[in-house]
Amino acid sequence: MMSTRRAFLKTAAGAGLLLAIDVKTFCAAETSADFAPNAYIQIRPDNSIQLWVTRTEMGQGVRTTLPMMLADELEVDWPQIQLEQAATVPRFKGIRLRTSGSGSTVGTYNALRKAGATARAMLIGAAAEKWGVEPATCRAQSGTVVHPPSGRKANYGELADAASKRPVPENPPLKDPKDFRYIGKPMKRTDGQAILTGKATYGLDTRVPDMLYAVVRRCPYLKGSVISYDRTKAMTVSGVRYVVPIESGLATGIAVAADNTWSAMKGAELLEVNWNPGPNRNFDSDRFLREMEDALSESGYFVRGDGDAGKAAASADRKLEAVYEFPFQAHAPLEVMNCIAHVRAGSCEIWVPTQAPTTAQEDIAKQLRVPVDAVKVNVTLTGGGFGRRLFVDYVPEAVEVSKAIGKPVQVVWTRSDDMRFGFFQPPSIVRIAGGFDNAGKPLYWNQRSVGCDLSMFGPLDEKAMADPRHYSNDGSPWGSFDNPYNFPNLQADFVRRNSPVPTGPWRAVEYPAQVFARESFIDEMAHAAGRDPLELRLELLQPGDILKLGDAKVDRGRLIGALKLVAEKSNWHQAAVTMPGRDWGHGVACNIYSDDCFMAQVAEVSVGKSAGDIRVHRMVCALDCGRVINPLGLEGQTESGLTWGLTATLHGRIDFRNGTAVQENYGDYEVIRMHEAPVIETHIIPSELPPGGFGETAVPPVAPAVANAIFAATGKRIRRLPITSEKLRPEKALCERFLEPGIIRRKSASGKSAQDNG
Amino acid sequence: MPKYALRVNGQVHQVEADPEMPLLWVLRDLLQLTGTKYGCGIGICGACTVHEDGRAARSCEITVANAVGREYVTIEGLSAAGNHPCQRAWIEEDVSQCGYCQAGMAMTAAALLAEKPHPTDAEIDVVMSELVCRCGTYQRIRKAIHRAASEAKAT
Repeated sequence: MMSTRRAFLKTAAGAGLLLAIDVKTFCAAETSADFAPNAYIQIRPDNSIQLWVTRTEMGQGVRTTLPMMLADELEVDWPQIQLEQAATVPRFKGIRLRTSGSGSTVGTYNALRKAGATARAMLIGAAAEKWGVEPATCRAQSGTVVHPPSGRKANYGELADAASKRPVPENPPLKDPKDFRYIGKPMKRTDGQAILTGKATYGLDTRVPDMLYAVVRRCPYLKGSVISYDRTKAMTVSGVRYVVPIESGLATGIAVAADNTWSAMKGAELLEVNWNPGPNRNFDSDRFLREMEDALSESGYFVRGDGDAGKAAASADRKLEAVYEFPFQAHAPLEVMNCIAHVRAGSCEIWVPTQAPTTAQEDIAKQLRVPVDAVKVNVTLTGGGFGRRLFVDYVPEAVEVSKAIGKPVQVVWTRSDDMRFGFFQPPSIVRIAGGFDNAGKPLYWNQRSVGCDLSMFGPLDEKAMADPRHYSNDGSPWGSFDNPYNFPNLQADFVRRNSPVPTGPWRAVEYPAQVFARESFIDEMAHAAGRDPLELRLELLQPGDILKLGDAKVDRGRLIGALKLVAEKSNWHQAAVTMPGRDWGHGVACNIYSDDCFMAQVAEVSVGKSAGDIRVHRMVCALDCGRVINPLGLEGQTESGLTWGLTATLHGRIDFRNGTAVQENYGDYEVIRMHEAPVIETHIIPSELPPGGFGETAVPPVAPAVANAIFAATGKRIRRLPITSEKLRPEKALCERFLEPGIIRRKSASGKSAQDNG
Repeated sequence: MPKYALRVNGQVHQVEADPEMPLLWVLRDLLQLTGTKYGCGIGICGACTVHEDGRAARSCEITVANAVGREYVTIEGLSAAGNHPCQRAWIEEDVSQCGYCQAGMAMTAAALLAEKPHPTDAEIDVVMSELVCRCGTYQRIRKAIHRAASEAKAT
């Protein structure tokens, strides 16, 4: 099922298969004295130890975590190792180089440990044979093999030649986790010093001899095109060398290649272009969101169906319903899209910050009609990815320009290009209805999600789309399909509504919109019933109860653990904080990311008297994501995911008017900055279960935790993101029709109910 | 094309450039000092921050013509051995994630500390809120600034 969206994004699963592929013997070719038992490791006779990183570093820490796993089993000292970044070369044939789905740790844990253990076993074998002793009497430590009974020792370099001639063991013994030297211990980022001295080389910093720099004047209209252009003024800019129309990529236009980036930018600005606005000149995202809302009246694809929610609703004693909205969002990584291409006769070399080097290689081979092996893609450091760099639209355009001008060229997107012409997080509209029985027990949940397909995956197979369970088979939408709450009647469906806007995976993909709705609505239900929102969640999750959804097995007990820990660490049950002139509240939300990461968050928020005056003071997170490789990295990813989620909660939205994106820089697409950044506490639940992926886990619960806290503070319910677009005006909610006056209450720590002003 | 003599990291560099070319691109494309980053191009993200006569400045907003006669320091020249208190504190607090914005962050913090050796949280907010980190490392940046302040005091 590799063709499905979920599988495509989450191929991290199936570690057994990856193991078989990843730890095949690597033939070290002509370098005979080197020891390279597999693609990841090379030990030279001079005792230098190179480890290859097979995923893209974009801030999530793979250049630290992956070598930790290798080095632990290999038994080398951290300062001994030299890191190399894997490129699309024969050495890595059959090894996944793609970075996605929070899958780098999950997808490499077994393979890298085995790779390290294989090398260790062969080095020990070589030493034992040399000394005429039993391998079991030898030990590897700090890059040497020692034989304690005789005191003999040899470093790995001395043993490399002999080790390389030994058979590769099928199943080398792995270390007992209690002997882990690096795994589970905090490790600082390997590139820290390089970053702080300006030596870290990102895509945009890469230089190759004789390269030019190109900037593209792009058609501002979605799927518009060039009718004609005049290069005269552009060519007057000093340093401008070539003007080349391009047709590949996402946003076509005219490229200006120059001796430096500034000249290319200036030249592109001075081009005179006559655009054909194309078929989407009237596209308006506000109107599209209303069309999505109208689509709530349609029935959709099956997502979940436990019990009979319709029948239950008829007999429910207290019921409510609400509609939530999530807008278009941009990735806006700080390093803009860029790519260097050097097309030669019959071959091509690329330097690019990408999450998908192999896709780039295959695409270029097709584009240039050359064999795949004639294309080499070098992966640079990446100034943020967040899903944007899974798509390689910015690679073929560089290839096109390089081919046209016969020189290596770096195509640089401007910030405005990046904000307006990327793949966007699609908007969502979600309606949920729910209710209780006359004994006050949660009775039913009925969710309808209206959403878009991710256009970066290309047109969908209409035959497959005829299957009413298409999305369910795919496990979509994430957050609705895998709703962890144990309602006796639970129904969910999905209505497709597509727009001309290119859409693609954005940090946590479908979860943020669905989890915003789900976790807000649970909170609404709790308040409607006069229940504590955290306690109601616990009631709806049962320990040890495994929820089976297709291949996924969701252990509700692990989510309970996270909720209980976050309650304790945030002092959930203690008295409210008093702030002069401000209303204070806290809110809780939780989620299971991809069935292996369990997170609960509590947001502490205060709201001032003027419109939009919201402060998120503290976010407390508790999480269980299996065995943690690098706790320091995990804390960083929590902080990062939270801040990402907070940007979407408070500020983020991209609008389209007249077929063109409105926002184009950090001024109108605001992101969280220092003064808004809350104190973040991360509490990790120790676990020996297999590691879960963590790059996206912290994002989805943020918006509902904050919105729920705002409700607790003010009695005003946020159902539309970003929150500032609501200006905290009370919205006449559908659910209020079902509520008797005075039912919306919250419990204070003393157990008394306080009247809200909702 | 006009020629300019620029002082960067204690050295004089001769460059030929359009008078309007921002210092950012002079540094990156003409002098190969790529530690100074392009983020927004309009002075609102701070990734391109350098020191101009000892004060933090946005290199995307300074033209090469206006840069003449001033003394610039980039992240490559912040310290000879890469051990400025901010550089050490950033590493100690494991601030960087993707790291792309951190040169600008550290340069801004270094200028702040030169002016106010012991900034309060509110003073840090005022200065550092002019910069963008999309990875959300703000909490660690704050800790690193306080650490750098206390270490500078200790030495």
